[in-house]
Amino acid sequence: MAYLELKNVNKSFAGVGAVKDFSLDIEKGCLVAFLGPSGCGKTTTLRMIAGFEQLDSGSILLDGSDIVPVPPNRRDIGMVFQAYALFPNMTVRENIAFGLKMKKTLKADLDRRVDEVLEMVRLKDTEKRYPHQLSGGQQQRIALARALAVQPRILLLDEPLSALDAEVRVALRGEIRRIQSELAITTVYVTHDQEEALSISDKVVVMNKGNIEQVGTPEEIYRAPRTRFVATFIGTANQFPGQVVGQNTVISNNLELYTCDLSGFAAGQSVVVLVRPENIQVQAEKSQPEHANHIAGVIETITFHGAITRLGVNVNGARVVADITVANTDPVCLNQKIWLTFPVDACQVMAVDE
Amino acid sequence: MSQRRSSPQGAKSKKARPTGWQIAMVGFFLFYMFVPILSTYVFSVATRWDRTILPEGYTLEFYQRAFSASYFASTLRNSLILSIATVLVSLLFIVPTAYWVHTRLPRAKPMLDVLMILPFGIPTVVLALALVQVYNFAPLARSPFLLIGAVVVYSMPFMYRPVSNAIQAIDTRVLTEAAQSLGANIFQVLKLIIIPNILTGILSGSLLVFATVFAEYTLTSLIVGARFKTFPLLLVEFTRINGNVAAAFSVISFTIAWLVSLLILWVGSKGQTTKTETVQAR
Repeated sequence: MAYLELKNVNKSFAGVGAVKDFSLDIEKGCLVAFLGPSGCGKTTTLRMIAGFEQLDSGSILLDGSDIVPVPPNRRDIGMVFQAYALFPNMTVRENIAFGLKMKKTLKADLDRRVDEVLEMVRLKDTEKRYPHQLSGGQQQRIALARALAVQPRILLLDEPLSALDAEVRVALRGEIRRIQSELAITTVYVTHDQEEALSISDKVVVMNKGNIEQVGTPEEIYRAPRTRFVATFIGTANQFPGQVVGQNTVISNNLELYTCDLSGFAAGQSVVVLVRPENIQVQAEKSQPEHANHIAGVIETITFHGAITRLGVNVNGARVVADITVANTDPVCLNQKIWLTFPVDACQVMAVDE
Repeated sequence: MSQRRSSPQGAKSKKARPTGWQIAMVGFFLFYMFVPILSTYVFSVATRWDRTILPEGYTLEFYQRAFSASYFASTLRNSLILSIATVLVSLLFIVPTAYWVHTRLPRAKPMLDVLMILPFGIPTVVLALALVQVYNFAPLARSPFLLIGAVVVYSMPFMYRPVSNAIQAIDTRVLTEAAQSLGANIFQVLKLIIIPNILTGILSGSLLVFATVFAEYTLTSLIVGARFKTFPLLLVEFTRINGNVAAAFSVISFTIAWLVSLLILWVGSKGQTTKTETVQAR
């Protein structure tokens, strides 16, 4: 039995379904990320676990017992908010001690515990300051310390890094992961940032319009997206819409694309072939690669991204993007005719829903 | 940092000198505001002041007569009771309501805002007469309780505005949820988190309500009249007997209102010192 179980959870606001028949098991000690665009229901689901939103139907079990009837202040669930939510009238130390005071912890235990968590977030020297005297990153670390001080059964993080700048965001997400694994605390992390979700979590739950699109490890989500939404939302994917014409061929935009086995599809069925830009190699000359597609195109845009350079290539009027690294590609220029090569197993084929 | 935010250095170094017009405007404003008050002060100690620019002589006789007036102590007491009771009742009504609406029912906020302007739109005479008619039964009829109720309604906007602004300045919903997730119940949330953070609003609201109610005449006169005589009633009574004594009463009334304001501000600043003292550059 999983530690946290959501069973057929439904929630709608003013008749619009925000979360639809959501069922999920979360194992003890795992960090699970809810990932999706805004309005996909991820925050609503988190708030239902915390007790700040009521369920329309369904149940939430924590360690085997139903927590839906339990008010939020007795659920023993720690929460970190996007807006930090530190109490402005209290010092850092008082903020962290707040939860322990509510639990009527003995003074000596309280002091020791506050010191411990301050040590853990490496902000011992800020204990006498007020929240407005701290940077955003520091405030969020204090908010994390405050949530952890009471040793909650699970930790919920609601877009904790969205208000911070890029550098702090990357540093702090590493910090969160370190602390989470040290404490082995079951954690739900809500984010709309796919990079954040992939880098931090044991499992990713991709959500769209109130539904779960896919649940899997970050690698599974990236390498084997099960829906077109997941494929396009996570990373970038070139899409070649077309029809199945053979056991491993799809015709798209007058191109013959060779793919892996298509026995699951009917001949003539509408499908879309997805290819990640980093799986496309760029060559100046035509060659005869084996088990790979080889198509011609003209470079329309060149965008430098640091580690990679992204090319926008016109292939029969359609746009294909390919990522190249300067080290292993010949120099390219605009309007140059080039050849794109991508192996058969880099092609993912999905049925088109219509 | 946050202390200096409002005055960027560039603006400070190029401080513009006030023009003649600006000085004249400010001078006129001060004249307009303070001449009546000063005149009242002077009139309360003047022996005779109708043939000369300045009074012909000065005396404290009118203060003596004011302090020894038969109703002086009881009206002062009644006014304090009325003002303090009104402040307490309106705190009790307004603070939880404003908090609840801002945090849980934001859709009702425009309605509440309109509701809080209504007392300005109803003439006090109409309000008083309507209340006297409706609550025409014991123990409410023409009682001090009815008066307190009426004055609470009449002074509600003065409490609501500052409190509502203070609540708006902090994210009450998130702070409430954060405190709840740490185990606090709703009373602890209000007492430990919300009230300390909106204290300035609560204090300025209390101040406005106190000052307004302390000088309230119409409602008191029409609802309770002589049954519960307050200080303004006594003052008006004396304007018909002796203007100088009435002026002395005005001065006493001003002074009390100012002392109470100072007291409230002092209490407020004590609550704030811990914050301002520690405001230093990061």
